[in-house]
Amino acid sequence: MKRIFALVLTLVMVLSLAACGSPTPQTTPDNTKPSDNSSTAVEDKFELAMITDIGTIDDKSFNQGTWEGVKKYAEEKGITHKYYKPTEKSNDAYLSAIDLAVKGGAKVVVTPGFLFEEPIYIAQDQYPDVNFVLIDGNPHDANYNYRTEKNTVGVLFAEEQAGFLAGYAAVKDGYTKLGFMGGMAVPAVVRYGYGFVQGAEFAAKEMGLAPGSITINYHYTGGFDATPEVQTLAASWYQSGIEVIFACGGALGNSVMAAAEQTNGKVIGVDVDQSYESNTVITSAMKGLGEAVYAILDQYYKGTFPGGQGLIFSAKNKGVGLPMATSKFNKFTQADYDAIYEKLANDTDGIASNLVKDTDASGKSVAVTDLKTSAVVLKVVE
Amino acid sequence: MDTIYFLVQQMMYFSIPLLVVALGGMFSERSGVTNIALEGIMIIGAFTGILFINMFQGMLPGQPILILAIIIAAATGIIVSLTHAFASINMKADQVISGTAINMFAPAFAIYVARMIRTVQQIPFVNQFRIEKVPVLGDIPLLGGLFFRNAYITTYLGFAILIISWVVLYKTRFGLRLRACGEHPQAADSVGINVYKMRYIGVAISGALAGIGGLIFVIPTSTNFNATVAGYGFLALAVLIFGQWNPFKILLAAFFFGLMKTIASAYSGIPVLSALDIPNEVYKMIPYIATLIVLAFTSKNSQAPKAEGIPYDKGSR
Repeated sequence: MKRIFALVLTLVMVLSLAACGSPTPQTTPDNTKPSDNSSTAVEDKFELAMITDIGTIDDKSFNQGTWEGVKKYAEEKGITHKYYKPTEKSNDAYLSAIDLAVKGGAKVVVTPGFLFEEPIYIAQDQYPDVNFVLIDGNPHDANYNYRTEKNTVGVLFAEEQAGFLAGYAAVKDGYTKLGFMGGMAVPAVVRYGYGFVQGAEFAAKEMGLAPGSITINYHYTGGFDATPEVQTLAASWYQSGIEVIFACGGALGNSVMAAAEQTNGKVIGVDVDQSYESNTVITSAMKGLGEAVYAILDQYYKGTFPGGQGLIFSAKNKGVGLPMATSKFNKFTQADYDAIYEKLANDTDGIASNLVKDTDASGKSVAVTDLKTSAVVLKVVE
Repeated sequence: MDTIYFLVQQMMYFSIPLLVVALGGMFSERSGVTNIALEGIMIIGAFTGILFINMFQGMLPGQPILILAIIIAAATGIIVSLTHAFASINMKADQVISGTAINMFAPAFAIYVARMIRTVQQIPFVNQFRIEKVPVLGDIPLLGGLFFRNAYITTYLGFAILIISWVVLYKTRFGLRLRACGEHPQAADSVGINVYKMRYIGVAISGALAGIGGLIFVIPTSTNFNATVAGYGFLALAVLIFGQWNPFKILLAAFFFGLMKTIASAYSGIPVLSALDIPNEVYKMIPYIATLIVLAFTSKNSQAPKAEGIPYDKGSR
């Protein structure tokens, strides 16, 4: 009896080992069919390559958004494309993934995330014939000396504008008690947060609300994970009367959504359209990751690759926005949205250029308490 | 008053998984097998449970699906824990190593299988299991607000497991034998108890409870499962030690940890506490400092099972 039992157990272990031993899809060719004009092309050459950062290709955030842009362009034009997953989070691993991509025939390498700033700084010299698109960063060396070569383009997003739109829409829609919950105080998150506060302030002034009629709780949780701590914090905010929380930072949004479902609160998502993750998501402050990648790839193939530049995608070139089609607003209409979006895009009355970002003009960092608000009362939670 | 209700309701989301998992650990350790694989087993249990919910949601009503998911989580927990049992009981391996192996294996396995089945690693689910208010009981003053609103059936399951654990451990022949195997297996063997069998059962129970704990940890706190339980398996070990391997002390320890965790994260929404102006790090530290103090004072007459962590060898004396 014991022998049989032991045998069964051994079998289970061996089987589970075998299951792990089968080749994992580290690199997944997405489009192995040869492109239209090159039916004789070697199958293992991929012209467009993307390297994922620490996340996965299906992270519902950066990697996925970028990959969708690559895929869309490549499939429309019939170009071979593939993504590579570095073995770990380190500059060496990123560089060897880039090396792999170049050896695999890549002409354009797309890398999402500021973690690639240093690897691209090295790679742009190493592979002068390959073009690099760095999303959400600009290449620099270990000492933050920025340099972008002719074969590279850095792309940043005006997160403060996306946050601005979200804050504006929330107040316009009638919410008066808002919350901002960021992951860590990294520049992108800070810009989202400051934009959110200023958007709320702008809307309140436009509506002629009395000073102090809007309150915003402002907090960085210190991590990007879904944890019961975040859920409890969010639940306690909803409990104390906060109506909507801008959950800004990866999976922590899921914990905020869980708290919202429990307390009938509302959530504003971030980076990509998160409306399908929970019914409590009323809108999302989006970056047009896919659009940016698509636009740059298009320029590359038209021979106008903006090499050597650091681009900023903002409302001006449709790089940020709210997904109005899936948003659940009561009063805030498409017309309202179009109006404010146009103002942002045209920088009417300096509305876009006057937005306070994470750093001021001289590069000094701005504290959240330095934001000048009157209609909005900021309650910073340490 | 609402604040207190809120705190207690939130505390349950922390405390019940800790309680259930720590009780699981108790059974294993009382039988003489250290089980630091609780974290890994929680992940596997949560994974299969949530996967089941994800697949069958919509086909079945809310509460039955949760109960089925709990059974599935327990079953997978048992299967995984048996590998630990085999390594540490039959093969007499170092129990810390096989436990660590499971802890490392579990998240990788969950991600790998999730991506094979669903192509994405997150498994979303709709939380339809919350009970707004238990009929009749929810209207009882005080108690109703504390325990019968905004609750999950898992809360009551946790208390049921607690009572059953106590009865089994102290009031049955089986419990006595299990404890004997953890204290002095040679003596137990000399009076005809099958030590291997008892230890297998102890580890299997811990697997089942840890699997359940993983599932009920994830359900109230997220909208998808992403192959992690945020270190709560290890926290449950701390609860187990803090509770000195005794069911009701474990309950107190779980409540204490849960309450401190809740206050640490929720104090900004509670006027009284935010007015005190104590940094939240202080609240976060308290459970661990308390554990250290308790350990420092009780280590001399620690209630840890004497033969815990030592593989039983029939030949040795």
